[in-house]
Amino acid sequence: MRKITDDDLTLLFYGEHDDPALATTVAESRELSERFDSLSAELRLADNFVPPHREDDYGADVWRRISPRLGDDRAETSGRLKSWLATFSQPRFSLAGALSISLVAMLAFMLGRNGGPESIGTSMAPVNQNAIALAGIDSSRLLTHSVSGHLEQVDLMLTQFVNSTETSSRDSGFATDMLVANRLYRQAAASQGNHKLAAFLADLEPLLIELAYQAQSGSPATRERMQLEVRDGMLFRVRVMNKRLDKPQISV
Amino acid sequence: MRRTAVYTSEMTLSEQKIIRKAAKGDRLAFRELVLENSHAMFRLAWRLTSDEGAAEDVVQEAFIKAWRNLRKFRMESSFKSWLHRITVNTAMDYLRKQARRKQFETAEPEFESITAGSETPAIDTQIDIRARTRAAMMKLSDTERSALLLKHFEGHSIKEIAQIMEMTTGACKQTIFRAVKKMRVELRPLVTT
Repeated sequence: MRKITDDDLTLLFYGEHDDPALATTVAESRELSERFDSLSAELRLADNFVPPHREDDYGADVWRRISPRLGDDRAETSGRLKSWLATFSQPRFSLAGALSISLVAMLAFMLGRNGGPESIGTSMAPVNQNAIALAGIDSSRLLTHSVSGHLEQVDLMLTQFVNSTETSSRDSGFATDMLVANRLYRQAAASQGNHKLAAFLADLEPLLIELAYQAQSGSPATRERMQLEVRDGMLFRVRVMNKRLDKPQISV
Repeated sequence: MRRTAVYTSEMTLSEQKIIRKAAKGDRLAFRELVLENSHAMFRLAWRLTSDEGAAEDVVQEAFIKAWRNLRKFRMESSFKSWLHRITVNTAMDYLRKQARRKQFETAEPEFESITAGSETPAIDTQIDIRARTRAAMMKLSDTERSALLLKHFEGHSIKEIAQIMEMTTGACKQTIFRAVKKMRVELRPLVTT
């Protein structure tokens, strides 16, 4: 019989030895048993290599951090296009909603074209500059005022979401409208050079995407986790950002 | 004999469904995977780096890499093994960068200062045992530590570890044997007291 090495005992300890009779051999030999016990005791001490504790919501925290970095690349593109088409073809996307989105789009377009570095030299800029100037509106103030109204709507939607027990397609439709508006405002803010506001709206976007689509596909467990995430994170951030925004009175 | 969680290539149908959806670009499905695996990945990353902040960074980077490469994942292997492979590679990259950085630094790492002059260590507390175990672990080479951790804490088979670490089964076995020998030398004084 060949000599039993410490490597054999290591394999036995980890349940990886090829020879099923080895355990019996070790048990029957006092010398081998002592060697095995000694190896076991030493290796069990490795169990003291304990990582720091992480809270239950650590996974949600990881998601919050990585989701803005995942980007919109990969197979999502075609799926998103289909989803957008589906969104606009659904009855829940009401005429009022469509009109309000159109107004947001027009406003965001004007704001984006007006005042930002990119607008210099464009053919549209003078027209919109004149239009806004005629209306006596400061485009920067108009943007913050508009985004403030948008964030109030988002705040309302998130508050309803964290306090409700089920999601209706109406909620999902509302989230989709908010998502559309959010993207337009983000682009407008970026065009105006308000990068802080644009970054905040970019952070908000993944959540709105999830709220827009989770109603159809999310499990109750997913919903609970999202509620926790919204309650502990984004809802607070939305309120803080809204407070920070200047809310000037706009004379018409 | 030690029995820990053992990963096999078997996945539940529901897990397969979520992975397939995520691979097609479904962020919500990928979020499920993140929520499901974050704690385990943090534990592995921390044991590889022995640094809380680094471990958090490694977890995030690993998930981003997983998202970008999910389409390449084949269902015949274990998803957890696949995630562990990404985590180990990401942690290794981090450790290599750290090693390069430390060449220009004079400060000794924490785990080395603990063991300095500790031929006959006095063990007073559980904290001390933990610190010394940690020091012993961090004295292993990155490859030895990775292989041992995947065996001892994650319960992977040697064959799986070899796949994760992209080495032959024989080389993997020898790496684990080396790591065990080194650990025993470091930990033996703690057992006898």
